[in-house]
Amino acid sequence: MHRLWNRIDFAFSSAWQNFWRNAAVSVASVLIVWVVLLALGSLLLVLHSLDQIVALEKTKASAISVYLADTTPLSSAMDFKLHLENDPRVTDVTYVSKDQAMARFRQLPALDPSVIDTLGTNPLPASLDVTVRDIRDLAAIDQEVRTSPLVDKSPSTNYEPNVIDKIILLARVAGIAGLVLIIGLTGLSVFIIMLTIRTAIYLRRKEIEVMKLVGATDWFVRWPFIVEGLIVGVVGAAVAVLIVGFGYRPAVINLQSVLIFIPLAFDPAYLRVVLAAMLVFGLLLGSVGSYLGVRRFLKQ
Amino acid sequence: MAAVVETGPQIHLEHVEKTYPNGTVALRDVTLEIPKQDFVFLVGPSGAGKSTLVRLLIREEKVTAGTILVEGQDLSRLKRRHLPFLRRKIGMVFQDFKLLPNLTVFQNVAFALRVTEGALRHLKPKVEEVLSIVGLEGKETKFPDQLSGGEQQRVAIARALVHDPLIFLADEPTGNLDPATSWEIIQLLLQINARGTTVMMATHNREIVDVMRRRVVAIEGGQIVRDEDAGGYHAPALESH
Repeated sequence: MHRLWNRIDFAFSSAWQNFWRNAAVSVASVLIVWVVLLALGSLLLVLHSLDQIVALEKTKASAISVYLADTTPLSSAMDFKLHLENDPRVTDVTYVSKDQAMARFRQLPALDPSVIDTLGTNPLPASLDVTVRDIRDLAAIDQEVRTSPLVDKSPSTNYEPNVIDKIILLARVAGIAGLVLIIGLTGLSVFIIMLTIRTAIYLRRKEIEVMKLVGATDWFVRWPFIVEGLIVGVVGAAVAVLIVGFGYRPAVINLQSVLIFIPLAFDPAYLRVVLAAMLVFGLLLGSVGSYLGVRRFLKQ
Repeated sequence: MAAVVETGPQIHLEHVEKTYPNGTVALRDVTLEIPKQDFVFLVGPSGAGKSTLVRLLIREEKVTAGTILVEGQDLSRLKRRHLPFLRRKIGMVFQDFKLLPNLTVFQNVAFALRVTEGALRHLKPKVEEVLSIVGLEGKETKFPDQLSGGEQQRVAIARALVHDPLIFLADEPTGNLDPATSWEIIQLLLQINARGTTVMMATHNREIVDVMRRRVVAIEGGQIVRDEDAGGYHAPALESH
């Protein structure tokens, strides 16, 4: 017990001394770890949001809203609804009045209701929300309804054939670009931590020489440097975790107010996973970097 | 681990060769036996191979050919993880003391116990014990640069003694010291030897070797050219000149 405590005490106090003796290099390696983890955390959250959007768009994919011209009388709208309901490809048609459309619009997250009130009149059209049996029929139905005089001309429907593909592509590109960036930064941070540890070893070379001479084991000599790497990893990760942890919700709220029609949501459960992953990754960066730092040098 | 041979010499070199990677031959066909509690001077000109021999004994270097047994352990078969435990049986001092300048006398000596995970409860009494052996009571809180050369070497000796070594290797321990201080260090090594520790001292100090009349092993060009009990720095034939 005494020995274990001695080893821990020695490793931590030496590591702490190393960290400060070598402050400029240590701070540089903390910064790079911080940048990597900030990039990692942000990327995970962005990809998660894109996933959420894709999932939502998929559920919406089997339906289109057919916008009705404001001049269309209700009875004509109802006839049109019946006509669509009789179509064998259609499973359901719902009429949404202008007022209902406005009510829905008001429920969009982060939309300031006072902005809508300044409009005075209700600019939103009434619509028929048509759900089809098979998504592949959507295009044909879209073409047909556009020919009807009852339908608004700009825009006629919310049919957007490629939206999911576009979002998936965006997610893929963002994922690959982010991954490449993170791999590059990871390599760089491991390298910088390794240099930090090498510098610390260089500054302690006399001590290491004496330690080996009087019979300290290899691991006893290595531990302080490994711990120093872990300190770098943890400090860098902690700063990034704080920023992402506290910044995620305001970022989502801000984006919601800019991108009103994109269903962004704050997901605290996923945030916890991301923060834990960042801490683990920080520790990993620190330990790998310092292991590489001590590996070659302390072997004679 | 190699079998420990209870009898026989404590240090045994047999046909030892050492060639460095750059091709320099430092030792050739060196055979030497040192029994327990012996006191041996290792003499010879610079570059003769004395330091290489010392480095081989603590396995800072490995032999190119031949065998070295220390305390019955074959050093070339010694696993790297067992090396620290060999080093704890061997106390070492050098010409340049190798003290840590930012640690006090007490801390420098205690350092050797801390980093080898000695029982910390015994740390203070043990450090005090070895400091009293080398005569440095009262200097515990001084830093190395506040001490004379002789005192610094005493600290180094105290540090080498904390593990109660079976063998004490001194590589030019008086090389940086004036004659009077050198004699004090030699007296200390004699005391250590009298306590049962084998002492091997590599030196250029002709006066000390000649006065002491102890065993002398002379190395020249990497070979042992002379090994005599109660010898002098030079061979008897040369001394008559």
